[in-house]
Amino acid sequence: MGILNAFKVRMNTLAIVLIPVCIAIDWAGHAIASTLKLPLFLDSIGTVLGGLLAGPWVGGIAGLITNFISSGTVDPIAAPYSIISLAIGIAAGIAGYYGWHKTWQGRVALYVLIVLVASIGSTPLNINLYAGQSGVPTGDAIYAALVKGGWPTWLAAYIDEASGDIPDKLITVVVAILIYFGLPNRYRALFSVWRRPSTEAEPAPAASV
Amino acid sequence: MAGGLSLYAEGTSLLHRAHPLTKGVVTLSAVALAFIAPSIGWVAALGIILLVLVALAGVLRRLLAVALAILLPITLLLLAVQGFANPNNRTVVFALGPIVYYREGLAIAALAAVRIACLVGATFLFSFTTRPADLSEALMQRGLSPRMGYVLQSALQIIPQTLDMAGRIQDAQRARGLETEGSLPRRARAYLPLMLPLVLSSLVATQERAMALEVRGFGLRVKRISRYEFVDSAAQRILRWVMALAVPGAIAARIAGWR
Repeated sequence: MGILNAFKVRMNTLAIVLIPVCIAIDWAGHAIASTLKLPLFLDSIGTVLGGLLAGPWVGGIAGLITNFISSGTVDPIAAPYSIISLAIGIAAGIAGYYGWHKTWQGRVALYVLIVLVASIGSTPLNINLYAGQSGVPTGDAIYAALVKGGWPTWLAAYIDEASGDIPDKLITVVVAILIYFGLPNRYRALFSVWRRPSTEAEPAPAASV
Repeated sequence: MAGGLSLYAEGTSLLHRAHPLTKGVVTLSAVALAFIAPSIGWVAALGIILLVLVALAGVLRRLLAVALAILLPITLLLLAVQGFANPNNRTVVFALGPIVYYREGLAIAALAAVRIACLVGATFLFSFTTRPADLSEALMQRGLSPRMGYVLQSALQIIPQTLDMAGRIQDAQRARGLETEGSLPRRARAYLPLMLPLVLSSLVATQERAMALEVRGFGLRVKRISRYEFVDSAAQRILRWVMALAVPGAIAARIAGWR
């Protein structure tokens, strides 16, 4: 079944408990970026990390609920973009299943994949929500210049969105991978349920269901 | 960030007492209708209905303060960009030196802004009148997995704790001489030393939490009984269906030529 195997993860209690922590990491990543006045969002580090550690479901659900909670509390405009966060988490989960984060080519591929998912997914939303803009002043300045120069709006909208995603997701992926390799080995092993042949016993200390 | 994330404001209005799912359906349908409705008149009418509901719920002033902080910058950005650069621009409204503003673009920006205002207003109307715990409880009573209910609830608790911890780590790292102000590269270099300890400590805590939950029967596959009963009524059930059916109805009307 190839790629579908990535979704065959047993959601044990540890994986469920990891989801809210990933959501909190998404929030903290954004909060720290704001305190340092960095011109980036950095609000999907937890989503990517959750995907790498525990597969597409954990990453996807973490992304979805991160947006869901922020739209109910600080920024309702995040709601339509929930679907993009879900896709980013799933993409990171599939990449994690194939172990992309362990090689240099794989890391670059993970970065490119996530930028593509985020930018291609967000562009139609931006067109419907913001008449093509992304809501980020620098990107929208590029958009204005391109449309004024006669570019088609969809292409200008894509470049506007990508101009934000390219630096943002670079830092996101770099930080997520650094955190991943900063974790104790023993801890990472707890989650690698799908990489284990079914004949071998699971080491999970939290008894599975 | 003390006091948690929720915007919920205590109250006894009709909206506060309504079933969480009724409010959820009304919110989602209102947002969908705002984006389906073809012209600014219809969307503005919807916005006015939402404002009346907000006033009925008694949260008008607080809601406006939060909503305007989001809406003002995005509205200005939309007007500034679309009025200047939109492929439909024909009719000049005014010119600031070399920068010419057109009526068509400004109209498109205004429509987008009013739609976003409806999105923000409807969502906050829900958040201000619904306890997050009630929402997840109501969803679980309608078949949401209790594990997802846990994820929602515990995320709402863990986020403020994590943000508090981020503040403490920042103080600790600054005390050790970490620069968190100055030029952009300098500030960017401070990101990892703030982020790594935070993430590592919160991740390592998960294992204990998982064990604590396990011994309390979290993983048991048994039917859960709820302590809470939400008051529901025939009128609310009808309202839910009407609002839910209004969305495909509006789409059909658009296809049939609603302008």
